[in-house]
Amino acid sequence: MLVIDGSITDHAGPYFVQLSMSTPVGNPTRVVGVNNARVIITDQLGVKDSLVLVGNGLYRTQKIKGTEGGVYNLEVMVDQKKYTASANMPQKVNFDSLRVNTFPFNGEIRYSVIPVYADPIALGNSYRFIQKINDTLDPTFHVFNDNLNNGKVNQRPLRSGDDNLKIKPRDNVFVEMQCISNTSYGYYYSLNLQSGAGPGGGTAPSNPPSNIEGGALGIFSAHTVQRKTMRIQ
Amino acid sequence: MRYKIYIFSFFLSLGAHFTSALAQQSFVISGIVKDKQTGESLIKAVVRIEELPNAGIISNEYGFYSLTLPSGNYSVVVSQVGYETLVQKIKLDSSKSINFYLQTKNVLKEVVVESSRKNDNLTKAQMGTETINMSAISKVPVIFGEKDILKTIQLLPGVKSAGEGNSGFFVRGGGADQNLILLDEAPVYNATHLLGFFSTFNSDAIKDATIIKGNSPSQFGGRLSSVLDVKMKEGNNQDYTVNGGIGLISSKVSVEGPLQKNKSSFILSGRRTYADVFLKATEKFKDNILYFYDLNAKANYQINAKNKVYISGYFGRDELGLGQDFGIDWGNKTGTIRWNKIISNKLFLNTSFIYSDYNYNVKLKNGETNFNINSEIKDVNLKQDYTFYTNNQNTLRFGFNTILHNIKPSTFSGTVINSVAKSGRNGLENALYLTNNYKATNQLTIDYGMRLSMYTLMGGDVYNIYENGVIGSSIKLSPSSFGKTYINPEPRITTNYRIDDEKSIKAGYARNVQHLHLLSNSVASSPSDQWIGNSYNIKPEIADQLSVGYVTKVFKNNFELTAEAYYKHLQNQIDYKDGAEINTVSDVESVLLYGIGRAYGLELLLKKKEGRLTGWIGYTLSKTERKIDGINEGKWYNARQDRTHDISVVGIYDLNERWSISGVFVYNTGDAVTYPTGKYNLQGQTLYQYAARNANRMPAYHRLDFSATYEKNKTKRRHGSWNFSLYNVYGRENAYRISFKDDPNDPTRTQIIRTALLKWVPSVTYQFKF
Repeated sequence: MLVIDGSITDHAGPYFVQLSMSTPVGNPTRVVGVNNARVIITDQLGVKDSLVLVGNGLYRTQKIKGTEGGVYNLEVMVDQKKYTASANMPQKVNFDSLRVNTFPFNGEIRYSVIPVYADPIALGNSYRFIQKINDTLDPTFHVFNDNLNNGKVNQRPLRSGDDNLKIKPRDNVFVEMQCISNTSYGYYYSLNLQSGAGPGGGTAPSNPPSNIEGGALGIFSAHTVQRKTMRIQ
Repeated sequence: MRYKIYIFSFFLSLGAHFTSALAQQSFVISGIVKDKQTGESLIKAVVRIEELPNAGIISNEYGFYSLTLPSGNYSVVVSQVGYETLVQKIKLDSSKSINFYLQTKNVLKEVVVESSRKNDNLTKAQMGTETINMSAISKVPVIFGEKDILKTIQLLPGVKSAGEGNSGFFVRGGGADQNLILLDEAPVYNATHLLGFFSTFNSDAIKDATIIKGNSPSQFGGRLSSVLDVKMKEGNNQDYTVNGGIGLISSKVSVEGPLQKNKSSFILSGRRTYADVFLKATEKFKDNILYFYDLNAKANYQINAKNKVYISGYFGRDELGLGQDFGIDWGNKTGTIRWNKIISNKLFLNTSFIYSDYNYNVKLKNGETNFNINSEIKDVNLKQDYTFYTNNQNTLRFGFNTILHNIKPSTFSGTVINSVAKSGRNGLENALYLTNNYKATNQLTIDYGMRLSMYTLMGGDVYNIYENGVIGSSIKLSPSSFGKTYINPEPRITTNYRIDDEKSIKAGYARNVQHLHLLSNSVASSPSDQWIGNSYNIKPEIADQLSVGYVTKVFKNNFELTAEAYYKHLQNQIDYKDGAEINTVSDVESVLLYGIGRAYGLELLLKKKEGRLTGWIGYTLSKTERKIDGINEGKWYNARQDRTHDISVVGIYDLNERWSISGVFVYNTGDAVTYPTGKYNLQGQTLYQYAARNANRMPAYHRLDFSATYEKNKTKRRHGSWNFSLYNVYGRENAYRISFKDDPNDPTRTQIIRTALLKWVPSVTYQFKF
């Protein structure tokens, strides 16, 4: 099945769309790029950008500019099949800082990092956090919404589902905060439910609800990006 | 209006049966069947007349019986499993009230098979029903050595365990919330402790436990798949007795005795685990808490020959805590008052008033921050249950049940929380029922009846109405006002045809309706699953079950073989949208999906009840599927609990006066699960692709358990026994979970990881009685 992974951010371009094919589980794991596609992104100002192939299934924009509040439409044509997606970039919520959180657990101290930001009063903000500990990517898809803490300063830490990735003193933690749409939130949240967290294997897995029409896996997202690093004392 | 006609026509048909009885002068004998030593009333004791093979009845849940006979001299034969049969001669020239006192059978001898055969027609009328023999289960090996009725019923065909570490059980393909579990008439919402290893039933205090797999008589209702009716002991009204057990991780004790000899008694039983006591001894885990307790308290008072009142309570709690910062606790509390009234020698009434409360709490503290989740369901319940012993061919059971539910969904609070508080919802569940047990001929018995159940939405909350997943309108009901009412007639019929002394054939149809639904997003049930009543979107769940059965004695009458086949159609089944956050979303109804289900199967049970070797072999061949709009492209898919084959072999062997050994072997096809059909890369990570839901299988589960029991001074007043058991004798690592991930040593390869939960678990328990 075709996998479309594309994003537009509020940083300066270019932006990328990765097209690949899924492979059987028993095969060697690798990225099987799709190099014969036509990829077009249009924005709400009418700018139409035909992306250029620059790598193994990797397509790059040439003129589109990502801005808060922008609406971006993706169109992918491969082997006479058309796939479309639409993404709205939300307004940026300021990423204030990172704060260390300690939690005593079974006689030892567990460290985690809290991304500090003030959630706006209006209900309906969603966030995604990408965490790297000493340059190792944390595989958990951290997504928060404001169902519970609407309008308040965030106090929820990023807890990795990977037990082997423990933060220790003197580690460098990198966090990228993305303000994402509610559709993207649903996509990443359901990916986490399937990861088997919790007793008995979690939820019955299925392909997460994607915003791509036409029968492809993956997601097309427009989000703001802010980055911070901290060193654990 | 239509329903009134149904009820009226039942009364008309009964009128026809009345006339035949008026032909000759007849009198009534009635009374209570009791245990001679303890005064306990005996449930389902057979009372029959030697001279009149058609005259027989079984005592009801309170030991009451009533027989209408023509005048004459008779031998009344009263019997019950585990007791010496009593034969009492009576001269019937006027209606009499006679209580029967049965003597316990001390030593298990080869029982005369004749008498039990004659009883079978009376005791076996009900389809898909198994009564659990409380003394037999003390010898069946179970995990941690705890005699447990929930674990034992899972060894019967048609009843499947939810798996190690999972609470709940599935009956004939139904979900874990589709079982009505009653403890002395009070519904129990979460019948398991600690991750499913222990049930909330302290077996020392139980008198009778019966499971009915879907064809329940009309006095039961509210859950689609089964009824587990557990009756506690009343308490010895002659003498004080103490029963108890000390085990490796839990202990229990039960004290019973008379408050006023022969007139009133009490029973108090408690159980607690102390797994955390061992944790406190370690440095690493000493701040952790892990325990549960159960407390059953019951007292009864015989006001006069015709009135008896009971008061009982159950309190149970589970606590799991990690230091000061994280804790989760949950539990049930129930209080019941019951009044038995013998209104006339043919009319028995039991009135029950029940209060129950199930809640769970999660506390999380982190420095200045605290965070709590709380969910609760409270019921106030009134039941009036009448039995009218019309004549020897007809027994009528009727009554009503009204329950006021207050359901509070998961509510979050704390310093970091700013969500809209969720208010509880009230719902009023009512039922009227009527069943006639009709002995048409010597050989044919028909139980026919109807339950009319109603659920009225009440206020305290805003109800949103969704059309295609989008809010159409909202209705706000104030706490005491009434909203929509659902009315559902539930016809029930079972027939039993006795071909001869060895064989009988049965058939039945039942409709069951369920107005409360358990929402759970994970495939394993957890105490944080929430209950919700019907709403404008959520309709009552309906199950229609057709079953046929055949019972016969085989191998020179030493074995009994029961075969039963069923087909069940389910409506208004609930599931969730992909990625649904059922706990934090402001209205859980916005993420629900609806559809239908079907389940069918064949159950075989071969039992040996007498002799030195007793036990049974059960085999179930079955399928259970769902079809939900929005899941699996609206196509049929296997329910998670679909397991094609399910085998249980239980054997108990009395070696000699003191030693007995037993073994259990179980085998079942693995759960239906969804394995990936492909993999792909997204933002540097390997993700898995899925196609049809639950089209794959977990590996098969099988396990052997052994146990040995040593009993000293079995016949003396004071005795003890030791039980040694080993769970999972050959240490099979049954897969609890299968997961796929990148091989950490070679990222181009995918690894399949199989997690197992339990290997060998030995245990030692000491039971005492004095």
